[in-house]
Amino acid sequence: MENILELKNIVKSFDDKKIHQGLTFTLKHGETIGLLGRSGTGKSVLLRSIIGLEQIDSGEILFHEQRLDLLTEQQLYPVRTRISYSFQNAALFDSISVFENLAYPLFEHTNLAEAEVEKRVMEALQMVDLTESRDLMPSDLSGGMQKRIGMARAMILNPEILLFDEPTAGLDPVNIEMVIETIEKFKAQGISGILVTHDISTAKRVCDRILILNEGKIGFTGTVDEFEGSDDPFVKSFLL
Amino acid sequence: MIGHFKENMTVLGEITILSKDFLKCMFTRPFYWGRLYEQILQLGVGSLSITIVIGVVTGLVMTLQFGYGLAKFGGTLYVPAIVSLSLMRELAPIFTSLLIAGRIGSGISAEIGAMNVTQQIDAIRALGTNPIRVLVVPRVLATVISLPLLTTLSAFMGILGGLSIAYSEFSMPAGFYINKVLSSVGLTDVFGSMFKCAFFGFIIAIVACYRGFQTKEGTKGVGQATTWVVVTTSIVILISDFFLSKLLILLFD
Repeated sequence: MENILELKNIVKSFDDKKIHQGLTFTLKHGETIGLLGRSGTGKSVLLRSIIGLEQIDSGEILFHEQRLDLLTEQQLYPVRTRISYSFQNAALFDSISVFENLAYPLFEHTNLAEAEVEKRVMEALQMVDLTESRDLMPSDLSGGMQKRIGMARAMILNPEILLFDEPTAGLDPVNIEMVIETIEKFKAQGISGILVTHDISTAKRVCDRILILNEGKIGFTGTVDEFEGSDDPFVKSFLL
Repeated sequence: MIGHFKENMTVLGEITILSKDFLKCMFTRPFYWGRLYEQILQLGVGSLSITIVIGVVTGLVMTLQFGYGLAKFGGTLYVPAIVSLSLMRELAPIFTSLLIAGRIGSGISAEIGAMNVTQQIDAIRALGTNPIRVLVVPRVLATVISLPLLTTLSAFMGILGGLSIAYSEFSMPAGFYINKVLSSVGLTDVFGSMFKCAFFGFIIAIVACYRGFQTKEGTKGVGQATTWVVVTTSIVILISDFFLSKLLILLFD
């Protein structure tokens, strides 16, 4: 499988606090990577850095061999239609309806007719099993529903990579199952993904490879089987 | 002291950069006509009633005070000219702008600030769109368009208020009052006032948008942002009014 995304020697700090100290890894086409690590190890910062919401101090971020870290905000806009970000808190626009939230990227980046936009939005809602919510406001939705709508909005432009920031955090088992099923559907479509999570069972179920961040570096990388079979006490501490 | 000065200079620099980006986005595609219309309705039309009240009350009070004050010197006849000129040149622009700074400025900074702390601004960026184009351009333009119109309406209502007091309290004929107003207030006064208010509108909206984007620390930060915007824009309006008035006098008087 070809590399779709490459991160080389990423260094990032906030004032004196070093977050990443030379992270290097690749994401292959169609692959889903689970990014684990204790709180504050910079998992979300890494996702934000990939799409340029945070600037890295040094290193290289290559998407199809294009250096993303050298692009201006303006130049990053088209890239962000190909690498989507699903926010931890969904970050839905709270002043417009669910339908308008999903239609927003389509109106911005395509010349589709209104009927076609409606069709695409309904397909996306169908994918997350929330067709009945199309006219509701985000505040009318539960946390789990908001996350699924956020995912639907992230995938509506058919991106090549989806970045999931703790999609199951704070959800009950029923909603977690629904979120996992949604991620599995994206995966079945061949979309690559990076999944930041503390939920080991979700990571084991949907990820092809696990990466664990530790003190700004990659403490472990391997397949799910290698993760489960590891004798390393650091890795084992995540499996307890 | 030096640290505070540097901090203020940084804020000024960042507002200048935001203004530059606003101009760049305003003259490039896509332009959100729908959002501009929506903002004019929300910011401009939504401020109509309060603007009318302020205008009428100012006209009533001014005419009352000047009427009785000047009566002692036999100068009641000058009341229409004094009231209409001061309303058109200074009172309506300043009162309306300060009112709008409180109503619209705080509203814009609270809305954008809340969007910022809930990552909605990041979502706009993550979806490949420019928050300045989506949020700043419609709000700034709506304020720049609405404020001069609101001010002119306010001044007009103030003059009408003055007419009612001049007629009822000082038995001044309506025709005389209107005639005096029309001979005192020229088009340069009206357009000068509108120009000043367009400038004030720009300051109010751009500062409010800037502070909204800078908002941190959740709801507490949103509260602090709105207070900062109202205080800062009020001071800027009052100080810049002196210089703009001086400029307009130099140009037209």
